[in-house]
Amino acid sequence: MIHSIRFRLILCLLIVSFLVGGISLLIGSQLLYNSMTHEAQKHSRLALNATHDVYNAHVKFIKTALVITTLGAGFRSSVVNKDLSDLAVRINRLAENAELDFAGIVTGDGVPLSKLSPLSILDQISLQGNPLVRQAIHQRRLVAGTIVFSQDFMILENPELAKRLQNLPGNEPEPAICMAIAAATPIFENLNGENLVGVIYGGILLHQSMSIVDSIPKSFFFDNIQSDSNTLAVNIFFNNVCIATNMVDENGKRTFGAQVPDDVRQQVLIRGNQWTSRQQDSTGRNLVSYDPICDILGKRVGMLSIAISESNYLSLQHKFILYLSLAILASVILAIVMGIFLTHRIMQPIHRLIKASQEVSDGNLIHDLGSISKDKEIAVLQVMFWKMVKSMKRRRMESQTQIIQSEKQASIGRLAAGVGHEINNPLTGVLTYTHMLLRRKDISDDIRSDLNVIAESTERVRKIVKGLLDFSRQTLLDPELMDINQLATSTIKLMENQALLKGVLVQFKPGADIPMMIIDRNKIESVLLNILINALDATKPGDTITIQTTTGVSADDVGHMGVEIVIADTGCGIPSKNLNKLFDPFFTTKEVGRGTGLGLSVSYGIVKEHGGTIRVQSEINKGSSFFIWLPLNQQHLEKQDQEKPGQ
Amino acid sequence: MKIFIVDDEGIVLESCRRVLESEGYDVAYAKSVDEALMVIDPKDIVLLLIDIKMPFHDGIYLMNELKKQGKIIPTILMSGLNTPEIIAEAKKTGACQFLAKPFTPDELLKAVRQVIT
Repeated sequence: MIHSIRFRLILCLLIVSFLVGGISLLIGSQLLYNSMTHEAQKHSRLALNATHDVYNAHVKFIKTALVITTLGAGFRSSVVNKDLSDLAVRINRLAENAELDFAGIVTGDGVPLSKLSPLSILDQISLQGNPLVRQAIHQRRLVAGTIVFSQDFMILENPELAKRLQNLPGNEPEPAICMAIAAATPIFENLNGENLVGVIYGGILLHQSMSIVDSIPKSFFFDNIQSDSNTLAVNIFFNNVCIATNMVDENGKRTFGAQVPDDVRQQVLIRGNQWTSRQQDSTGRNLVSYDPICDILGKRVGMLSIAISESNYLSLQHKFILYLSLAILASVILAIVMGIFLTHRIMQPIHRLIKASQEVSDGNLIHDLGSISKDKEIAVLQVMFWKMVKSMKRRRMESQTQIIQSEKQASIGRLAAGVGHEINNPLTGVLTYTHMLLRRKDISDDIRSDLNVIAESTERVRKIVKGLLDFSRQTLLDPELMDINQLATSTIKLMENQALLKGVLVQFKPGADIPMMIIDRNKIESVLLNILINALDATKPGDTITIQTTTGVSADDVGHMGVEIVIADTGCGIPSKNLNKLFDPFFTTKEVGRGTGLGLSVSYGIVKEHGGTIRVQSEINKGSSFFIWLPLNQQHLEKQDQEKPGQ
Repeated sequence: MKIFIVDDEGIVLESCRRVLESEGYDVAYAKSVDEALMVIDPKDIVLLLIDIKMPFHDGIYLMNELKKQGKIIPTILMSGLNTPEIIAEAKKTGACQFLAKPFTPDELLKAVRQVIT
């Protein structure tokens, strides 16, 4: 099965479709992945910038709220006059409207006048812990941004914030600090900016703050990309610890407290770069971009991060892989179908050939191969097979003819020997008495003439009987090493004059490299001479007799090397009805007295004794060709040598 | 000059007798090997003319028998089965000549004269 053409062809087609499909899948998905990653990073940066804008907008919002408060009617006089109850109302209103976590007013010297929580003795030191106010007093202008406060200050400002500052993981530096966005604006007695009477401040503690992180995903334009806005994670980090996030765990709790990897800390907090990294979490792979947050003093105190799930981008890639895989699958199925179809097409005539070969090997030489295939190679194979069967048929007929010929030869040989012997005795009597009578002087001329006819006729009978006996005798060969070309040359010489007289051209084309053969010189010579004389008899003036020698394989026994002598004439040809009688004893077409009909029969016997074959091809009025094939390996001759007594 | 002929064929015996007697030879004959073996006396026979193929015992057998008995007589062997093998066999037995049947009177006399010079 593995070695069948069908299997191999299908395998080849499969390999090709797998290779082409696999390579395009590999390259395509890689290209797609790269461009998707690039796109995702671009989106991520955009989102990060937008996030930072939102963050800054919150700062601006606080700033604006403070400024508006300072512009409120009577506010300035309340500060100058230290109208604490009025200020407390204004601060509460400010904090409530602007959703501030802390807010307050201090005097131009930094003494607290009012704040969200009741004033206490501890507030006297709060100026130390409030760098924002310090900055505003010092610079005498509005200060806004990210600020780091001590936790103690923050709790003092608003005790409710204490629980948001609890359970902060990481090794917090002492004293405990926290991060907020805040603004502080100085309050002047008059509009020209002289005589600082106080500072109003307010801010939002970023720890566990939801307002910023929750507002960011909603405000983004790329909702169409990030189809599920919940997958957009916004985090605010204080140092390297996440203090605010919009992500919730399975219990609905915000998942802050995580720390960023060290490389992110290095890149963003220490070097101040924007940084994008790929991170794996429970929801899958995320593309996380970080942006540093600087406080009002320009110091990097935290980070903003935005994480976009890669799944949206990957899903495109997955789709691509899926479609391409389907295409590969389709081509694989196509390959199998094509393979089956093609092998069926190729194998059908081959199967017919196989069947035909089986029948031929079983001995049935008559087989129909069906229609000739349209495929050129298969057609050639079919034609060759058909020719092979045809030539096998011919050879079978030839060898059958040869067997019949041998049997005929043997039985006629025995008959001839017996008859020949028996006839010779009475012939001796006829000859003796005729000659005795002819010796007498007292006979008349007409009797003498009659006696001469008897004597001549008896001579003829004697020759016929001699021929018969020659034919019948199973004489032993007298083999010797001979050059066939030389033998042919000397034989041709014997009849050359006759041919010359008749006007027939005799050509000899000796083959090159004809090996020396072990043959009975006289017998082969008589065979050649016999056929040459026949050829001469068959030709008329102007015709040609060609003798050719070649080395060749046997027509019967493939692979058996030998030498072939071809004697071809351009004579009258042999009628096909005579072809199979040609080697029969006494078969002759020559006029009475010219031939005994034994020549070819004897030649046949001689060639056969040499282990060779003799064949004829003839066409009426075109000529005849005799093919005498003699084997090179003549073991049978050696055997005869051993049997020969006394040799 | 007595010539002894052994042949199972009457016509051959008669033919030979006619030819040889016409040339002045004495002729005696036997129609079988056994008969010949009883009759042949080497003292008054100068030539034996023996057919090879005969029923029961053949000419070769006769030659060998004579040789055994010490009767050495010049011999011409003749046969109607004149194949090279027969001729070679004839020569081997020590025959002086081989005469192929059928023969003309001249051929017979030529062979005889070659032996009896």
